Parts: sequence; structure tokens; C-alpha cells
Amino acid sequence: MADQIILKPDDDMTFWDKHRLSLLLIITVLIAIILTVVSMIAYNVSGTAQLDLSRPGLSSVSDKVDKGDKITEYSNFGPVNKDSINEFTKLYDEQSKKAKAVDAFNGDPLNPETLEFGVNSSE
Amino acid sequence: MIRVLTMLAAVTALTVLLGLGVQTAQAQSAALTSEQIERIKSNCTSIKSTLNQLHVSDALLRVNRGQVYESLAAKLMDPFNARLSNNRLDSKATSAVTSSYRNALDSFRNDYRAYEEKLSSAIRIDCTNQPELFYTTVEQARTNRTKVHDDVLKLSRYIDDYRSAVDDFLLNFERISQ
Repeated sequence: MADQIILKPDDDMTFWDKHRLSLLLIITVLIAIILTVVSMIAYNVSGTAQLDLSRPGLSSVSDKVDKGDKITEYSNFGPVNKDSINEFTKLYDEQSKKAKAVDAFNGDPLNPETLEFGVNSSE
Repeated sequence: MIRVLTMLAAVTALTVLLGLGVQTAQAQSAALTSEQIERIKSNCTSIKSTLNQLHVSDALLRVNRGQVYESLAAKLMDPFNARLSNNRLDSKATSAVTSSYRNALDSFRNDYRAYEEKLSSAIRIDCTNQPELFYTTVEQARTNRTKVHDDVLKLSRYIDDYRSAVDDFLLNFERISQ
């Protein structure tokens, strides 16, 4: 016996029967808002925001990111002998030289004197 | 009895909070002279421009330095420690330095985030209308930037320590091999 679709008369429909589509749309929008808020919180809390140079104001330097620094990865496997250790130290010295080449975040650019609102700043 | 104790605790907490608030306000007003306030107001645009430039250059520096520091640990230190372990050799010293290095790298990331957030807050403040708040926020950003620099120095020290640990390992290894 084939299934039959039983249509209820309008008077028999409950409030939720009548507004199913609206409810679906509202729930969809709410889920989208919640997921967006969660994503934004994760973006800010995880520190990703600080690495994102596509943010407004930072896009001018996004092309200055050092993309050519391809470091050779040392293999986990293989023998340990004088040659393999020397191979490692050579790679390590190259990379450590790069790491220590810049004394990053040195100086005091936020000093009130530097920003010209210190006690001894002159006009 | 419980009610009396609760009230006492509430009064004490309120007093402490009020005291802290007064102290902070006093510290702010003591730190900033009226002449400085005027200077902040009159140079607001140029100060903000300087802060913006610093914000941009430090963001680039963070990304480039972070890459170098991260690759040093992930592509060199970790694989070398793993190779020593795979060959059943003593990797305690190098692993200990790597662990300290990773902790310093975490501090670098967290301190930079705190610094960037403070600097961004300072940039958003209207220094013409809120010079005291602006000054305080810039001072906090300054303190946080010093912490980031300290982290960079720490990382450099651990990089040297790791190299020394490898040298020590090589010396012992040669002695045992002979």
C-alpha cells in the first residue's frame, strides 16, 4: 500500500507547524553567528591575529616577509658519527647566525622622551 | 556569625579596591605633569603616526624572527635529539636545552601578543581627549616590549647553550669511540 501524504487543515496546525521555515532560518543564522564569534575568539586568543599581516594597516609589509629562508631539515634517522655531527653543526651554525643576527625589539622607541612627551622633551 | 564574617570580608575587599583605585589614580597624576598632558594633546597626531609605524615594523619583525626561531627548534634541535635517542645515545643535555628553548619561545609569543594588544589599544585611544589613559597604555606597552626583548635575549642564550651541549656531546662521543 502506497504512503499517503496527509494534509492537515490550517486550523489543526500548531504555531511551530506554521513557522517551521522561519524557525529554520533563525536557527541557521544563530549557528552562523555563534561559529563566527567562536572563530574570532580563537583567532585573537591563539595569537594568530599577531601573525596575520593581511590585517588593515599591515598589508604594506606583507610582501616583506622572509619567504626565501628555506632551512634544510636534519634527518631523525641515520648513524651518529663525527661526520653526521659535523653536518648538523654546520646547519645549526648557519641558522643560529641568522637567529642572532638581529637584536630584535631592542631600544626604547616607546620612551616618552622619544615620543616627545617626556618631562625633558622640548617642543 | 557567618553573615557578620561575610560583611567584614566585603568591607575589607571594598576598602582594598578603593585603596588600589586611589593609589593608581595618584600614581598616574604623579607620573604625568600638566605640561606633558599639553604636549600629548598638541603632538597627538605625530605620536600616533610614530606608534603606527612601530606597530607595522614590529609585526613584520615578529613574523620573520618567529619563523627563524621556530625552524631552529623544529628542523634542527628536535631531529638531532631524536637521532641521538634512536641510536640509544645520551640526549638528556640537548633535550633539556631544547625544552628550555621551547619555553622561552612560548614566552616570546605570549609576551609579544600582550605587547601588540597594548600598543593597538594605545593607537585606538583618542589622545586629545584622554591623554592620561593614553600615557598609561603607552607605558604598559613599553614594559611589555621590554619583556619581548628579554625573551629574545633568552632565546639567543639557549641557542648558544644548545651548541655547547652538542660540543660536549661530541667530546664525550669521541672519547668513548676511541
